Amino acid sequence: MNKAKLKRMTRRTEFYMSLVLLLLCALVQIKSGGRLITFPGIFTRMNVTVLRTMVVDGMFAMCCLVVMISGGFDLSFPAIAALSYSLSTTICLNNGWCATNPLAGFLLAAAIGWVLGMLNGWIISNFKLNTMIVTLGTQTLFTGISLGMLGMKEITSTLPEGFKTFGKAFLLEGTDPSTGIRYTLTAMILFLIALCALVSFMLNKTMFGRALYAIGGNEVSAERAGYNVKRTKFLLYSAVGAVAGFIGMIRVCMESQSIPKAMTGREMTIIPAVILGGASIFGGEGTVFGTMVAVGIISLVANSMLILGIDPYWQQFFNGLIILVGITVSALQAKRQKQ
Amino acid sequence: MSEYLLQMTGIDKRFGGVHALDHVNFAVRPGKVMCLAGENGCGKSTLVKIISGAYTRDEGEVLFEGKPIQHITPAESSALGIQVIYQDLSIFPNLTVMENLAINSEITAKRKIVNRKRWEQTAKEALSKIGYDIDLYARMGDLSVADKQLVAICRALLFNAKLIIMDEPTTALTKKEVDALFKTVRQLRDSGIAIMFISHKTEEIFEISDDVCIMRNGKNVYSGPTAELTRKDFTYYMTGRELEDDYFVPTNISKEPVLKVDHLTWNGKFHDVSFDLRKGEILGITGLLGSGRTELALALFGLGKVHSGTITLNGQQVKITSPIDAQKKRIGYVPEDRLTEGLCLRQPIADNIMLASLKQLTRALGTLNHDELFEKSNEWVKKFSIATDDAHKHASTLSGGNQQKIVLSKWLNNDLDVLILNGPTVGVESWAR
Repeated sequence: MNKAKLKRMTRRTEFYMSLVLLLLCALVQIKSGGRLITFPGIFTRMNVTVLRTMVVDGMFAMCCLVVMISGGFDLSFPAIAALSYSLSTTICLNNGWCATNPLAGFLLAAAIGWVLGMLNGWIISNFKLNTMIVTLGTQTLFTGISLGMLGMKEITSTLPEGFKTFGKAFLLEGTDPSTGIRYTLTAMILFLIALCALVSFMLNKTMFGRALYAIGGNEVSAERAGYNVKRTKFLLYSAVGAVAGFIGMIRVCMESQSIPKAMTGREMTIIPAVILGGASIFGGEGTVFGTMVAVGIISLVANSMLILGIDPYWQQFFNGLIILVGITVSALQAKRQKQ
Repeated sequence: MSEYLLQMTGIDKRFGGVHALDHVNFAVRPGKVMCLAGENGCGKSTLVKIISGAYTRDEGEVLFEGKPIQHITPAESSALGIQVIYQDLSIFPNLTVMENLAINSEITAKRKIVNRKRWEQTAKEALSKIGYDIDLYARMGDLSVADKQLVAICRALLFNAKLIIMDEPTTALTKKEVDALFKTVRQLRDSGIAIMFISHKTEEIFEISDDVCIMRNGKNVYSGPTAELTRKDFTYYMTGRELEDDYFVPTNISKEPVLKVDHLTWNGKFHDVSFDLRKGEILGITGLLGSGRTELALALFGLGKVHSGTITLNGQQVKITSPIDAQKKRIGYVPEDRLTEGLCLRQPIADNIMLASLKQLTRALGTLNHDELFEKSNEWVKKFSIATDDAHKHASTLSGGNQQKIVLSKWLNNDLDVLILNGPTVGVESWAR
């Protein structure tokens, strides 16, 4: 590794975030008396819980990341997810589908999310409006459709068996030595890994991904360079819609319940996490790695409050603090690069 | 093949009621540097956009390499060999030099998958065209303006450019960087590429161009070899006035200085500056870009820092802490970038004119008297013959030159002692009245 490369690396937010995550891990490990990671088994009840929290948040963060790289904000993905899974599970329940195989439910939710995402994409690309305002509008609209127009109900014990068994699938199990409680590492983590790999490939290895960076860096230049900015944005927002619908179904399976209001306000914890991970609020910057490190930090903090001797009521306080620090660093960096 | 690479005759373009181009004739010879000169808002950019295909013309004929061209898109004009380097350079500050160089040709080739090796090759090929060496993996945003410009030139050359149009390329460059740029321009010219160079700076035009086309108010008033033009004629064609007429004869210069600056220093920006400015006098402050002239102006308007030295206003030593403070002390400032720093473009013209004098227009309880505001601003519209039919229209509807008039009238409506103009043409002038 040459000097210039090293210098470039140390200037990245991802570098510092990784250090923070490592320090935090060390702190929790010491404070908890070695309960975060064991050797040589590695997995413990504590870290599988952290990983479990990361599945849905991490996947949502991927959606949020690609939009933010293109210089936009999507506030509507939790609402899209909620409407998609509520409608999908209701349809499956009423038709007696997914008693053993949940595939139909997933496809249905993704299709619904895709249509909703297309609405976002159509408005944003055709009318060239501020993405935050548009998705704020559609977010409320989608929630309204779900709760008002369609009157979506909570589905808990009657949830099709196929979803329940799928959500309980695990990769490995073990018992916590101190408490004797059984723990499992959810198989849903495979979806997170797959999505991360897919997004990473898309961003770095396809012209579509480079288009997102180019548009986020300078939209006028991207248009002059020959990118079809309108089509790129339409494809982006519709794809994010489809993925959001899919993620929603994963959550339904993991929680064994479909609650129409469960996603409300999710964007307000996901977006700051993505910014913390090095994505610029002005667009054009951000990586899959950085985003996942930031999601890791937030999940770890959320799950280790008690162990660190902090009242869980303080969680909001720490989340807020992390968000402010992340956004300030991001803005300061953008300012420095401008000069 | 004709003697011209690009020949345009009788080009006409209207935007609503504004006659942007009035039967303009224009031609570029291959392997020559052609300067398109003219003051702000004379139609230079419109002409460029018609050549590049961003706008369509209402009337007129265009011949490129002797072949007539109908309405074309930007992509088609690029395929013909016409490359425009815009003032903002159309770069991606967040991407690497390599990507900035290669991205256009990758898109043109309709590639779907990124191949780093091919990108690197393309980028190296582009740099080799002018023998320019730079770290391919450096972030574009970290480069100096001059380096960014060279990267933009290299990128344009990848497309077998026959005509390169440079829109005001020297605006943000220092003298040394301009020299380096001119060297590159000459190198390109000698390799047979035609360069169209847009500028309004007399010295540069005489230094670099073979031919010159001067525009004024949407018409071309002169076109021909630069060598046949004297500087005096040039100024006449640019402004429409004999230079002699333009001399300002100071009257009523007071004996006592209205503004006296002694040993003023802003660490790292300017050092030990002293001058006297008398009532009725125009003082020119000049220097190269980065010499501290803008900073000096900012310091006098309360936007900079003063580490040592004194400012004396009407015999009293003062400290100017903020723009509000400066206004109270009757100092006005017209920034270099009038559009973004001096105007609220999406506000009515009238509001913009009266922006600095709203205090005079408030009734009891601090509410605004809109009728009076409109009336007073109309006086300025007449006085400066600002080209608008309605002062309620947004400032963005005006041309650059007219917007400039708004910024001036904004300050002149206040009873000022000192008005600082940053770069009305070149350098900074302070004007007291």
